[in-house]
Amino acid sequence: MALDQRRLEKARKPGFGLGLLKGMGVTLKHLFKHNTVIQYPDEKQDLSPRTRGVIALKEENCTVCMLCARECPDWCIYIDSHKEQLPPKRQGGRPRKRNVLDRFAIDYALCMYCGICVEVCPYDALFWSREFEYAEYDIRELTHEKERLSDWMESVLPPPPLEIGAEYPGSPTRAPETPPAGAAARGTAASTPAADDAGGTEEQPGAPVAPLGGGGRTPDAGAAKPPMPDVGPVPGEQAAATPGRDGATGREETSAGEEAPRGQAPGGDGTTEAPAGAPPGATATPPDATATPPDATATRPGDDDPPPESTGEARADVKPPDATATPPDAAATPPDATATPPGDDDPPPESTGEARADVAPTMTSPEGGGPAPEEIASLRETPGPNVEVPHETPQPTALTPTEDPDEVYAQVLKEQQAKGSSPQVAEARAKVARVKAERGIARGPAPSPGEEEGG
Amino acid sequence: MFDITLATWQILVIKVLVILTVVPVGALVGGYAEHKVMAHLQHRLGPMYPGGWHGWATTLADGIKFLLKEDIIPAAADRKVFSFAPAAIMVPIIMIYLVIPIDRNLVIEDLDVGLFYLLAIGSLSTIGLLMAGWSSANKYALIGALRSAAQLIAYELPIVLAAAVVAMLAGSLSLIDIVEAQNFPFALWPPGIGFVAFLLFTVGAVAEMTRVPFDMPVAESEIITGPFTEYSGMRYIFSHMFAEMGHMVAFGGIAATLFLGGYKPIIPLRILEYIPGVFWFFGKTMFMIFLFLWIRPTFPRVREDQLQKFAWKFLIPVGLVLILATGAWVLYV
Repeated sequence: MALDQRRLEKARKPGFGLGLLKGMGVTLKHLFKHNTVIQYPDEKQDLSPRTRGVIALKEENCTVCMLCARECPDWCIYIDSHKEQLPPKRQGGRPRKRNVLDRFAIDYALCMYCGICVEVCPYDALFWSREFEYAEYDIRELTHEKERLSDWMESVLPPPPLEIGAEYPGSPTRAPETPPAGAAARGTAASTPAADDAGGTEEQPGAPVAPLGGGGRTPDAGAAKPPMPDVGPVPGEQAAATPGRDGATGREETSAGEEAPRGQAPGGDGTTEAPAGAPPGATATPPDATATPPDATATRPGDDDPPPESTGEARADVKPPDATATPPDAAATPPDATATPPGDDDPPPESTGEARADVAPTMTSPEGGGPAPEEIASLRETPGPNVEVPHETPQPTALTPTEDPDEVYAQVLKEQQAKGSSPQVAEARAKVARVKAERGIARGPAPSPGEEEGG
Repeated sequence: MFDITLATWQILVIKVLVILTVVPVGALVGGYAEHKVMAHLQHRLGPMYPGGWHGWATTLADGIKFLLKEDIIPAAADRKVFSFAPAAIMVPIIMIYLVIPIDRNLVIEDLDVGLFYLLAIGSLSTIGLLMAGWSSANKYALIGALRSAAQLIAYELPIVLAAAVVAMLAGSLSLIDIVEAQNFPFALWPPGIGFVAFLLFTVGAVAEMTRVPFDMPVAESEIITGPFTEYSGMRYIFSHMFAEMGHMVAFGGIAATLFLGGYKPIIPLRILEYIPGVFWFFGKTMFMIFLFLWIRPTFPRVREDQLQKFAWKFLIPVGLVLILATGAWVLYV
């Protein structure tokens, strides 16, 4: 403080005319500096990639939702559309409707380049471009129609690359090759077949998932991958689940696991809570998922843990195949059964109940890059339901009150750390899990009505 | 050299032609210098297009443009005075060039009372400004005119006092004698006195030309162009651009003559005398012009009352003290 005040005083002191001379020094310095003026028409500036120039339209993405026109503060977007009818998908279905874009015009005389339309478009139909030289002599020509807006797409830059370790949309993060090899290696014989069956060709996602929810699980597995996987696993799972189930004789849940005993999901969860945890968000059949977990775990070794599709795969089975051979976590108690399985550890990483890709954390080699090519390929080959929504209904991973809170704590902590959460977050979540275990609160969302009972 | 004897009237014509050529060209070059030098001082480029190479023809293009403009005279204006005012401003400035020596033998007319003539003529422009402002029939032009009149009168005195110091040191009013008396430029010798006189003269000159930081009369952002608000086209150029640029070059020359040694080398070294006096003179003039241009983008505008205070309460007393000191110097040194 004193120093600042002294400096201030000094600065204010009228060093007679010195301030003037200093000012003159500044201007003189600029006289001799290399000039940085960019002489516009002859020289153009290198614009940054995020420069807001003209707005370009990608017609095929536009569904005429009118959000951009509504949100534009200037009302400078003019949209016209009409509905067309398409024949129904299945026989006897109702005719489908489609919105067809007739006119899409942006009046650049009004546009203030705020970018709200680009932000708001849910289908990524509008893009920023760096072009700005489209001045006209006639103001009416400043309204760019659909064709012109589509032409501007050529000047739109490709999106910036994602950060290292980011998940690409629709790609499950799971260790690519480990599963197959691992599966073979450690997998319980039963598991392996199950695993194999599970996804048919696809490995992991199906495998772990299969036990989980059989059909239901698929979505989880699929969650990792875009719709496709879900599809795949589903049928496969169904098939596999059974075998898998059988394989996991060690488990009581196994049988329960079958999709058949869907209802038992929650019930079975008691025993299978580990597994329950395992199938984080089996969309289809949480109960199944829970049931299957044991199987899943069994098969787990076979398949690489489904990428921790955080979105909800209740992939308990994700546990790394070689993860603690011994089911270290008691938390895996229910997964004791799982213990049997090829030493998957903490089965239900999803204590939190979300179908988080626990796999990933537990995975020794979680891949963040994306699904292994073969996975994707296999996934794609399997036919799936028409509608695969890459979301997983959260799998209830209720813990029985008998679960040892400390074990839960340790288990969740490990999972979180493996997943890469910051230490504070990991600790917090582990603590929450412990408290829940103490109070006998089910960790995870309530089972959807009709899917499992109780839970 | 050539065996030509010219009649007096022929010589007169030549002299007039020389002045009438030098002054506008000087104003043109000065104007271009102002654009470019000011721009570079402000880290920009200035005009680059007119004429192709770095815009050398900017002022020329300006002049042509203004010639093509409409000549507007406000209805309520006093037409005769309005039309005459630019001349009243411009002519005295042209007349200043009469006595400035470029080299020992190169002066239009070496008057014995050169310095006195300079100061007297220089102050004539004031009335031209007043005429312009009053006849415009515009309140703000009038305000500008009054401001400028007050300013010019106030800053006339430091100039006169500084010039008096020079006259005392040189012992003559003739500009050539003044230059001859400067072995060392007066700005350097006598130590202190000469430099202060030089500063006084420079500041006074900047104010005389109503240049920044003393451009209240033409405070662009406030009263447009002060007394010249109603002027358009060539009248405007004469009263504003030409006047200011011509004034700048003229005062540069005067300062060079009085304080920097005119056409003599800056330091009395034998070797430097091989460079012709013309180069010395123009070099010094250009340095002075650069000084004027340098000051412009550097300082903010001085408020009218600050301006007046500065002149009356500071510069003039300093000038008077300076005369005392010079007197003492001349008598006892």
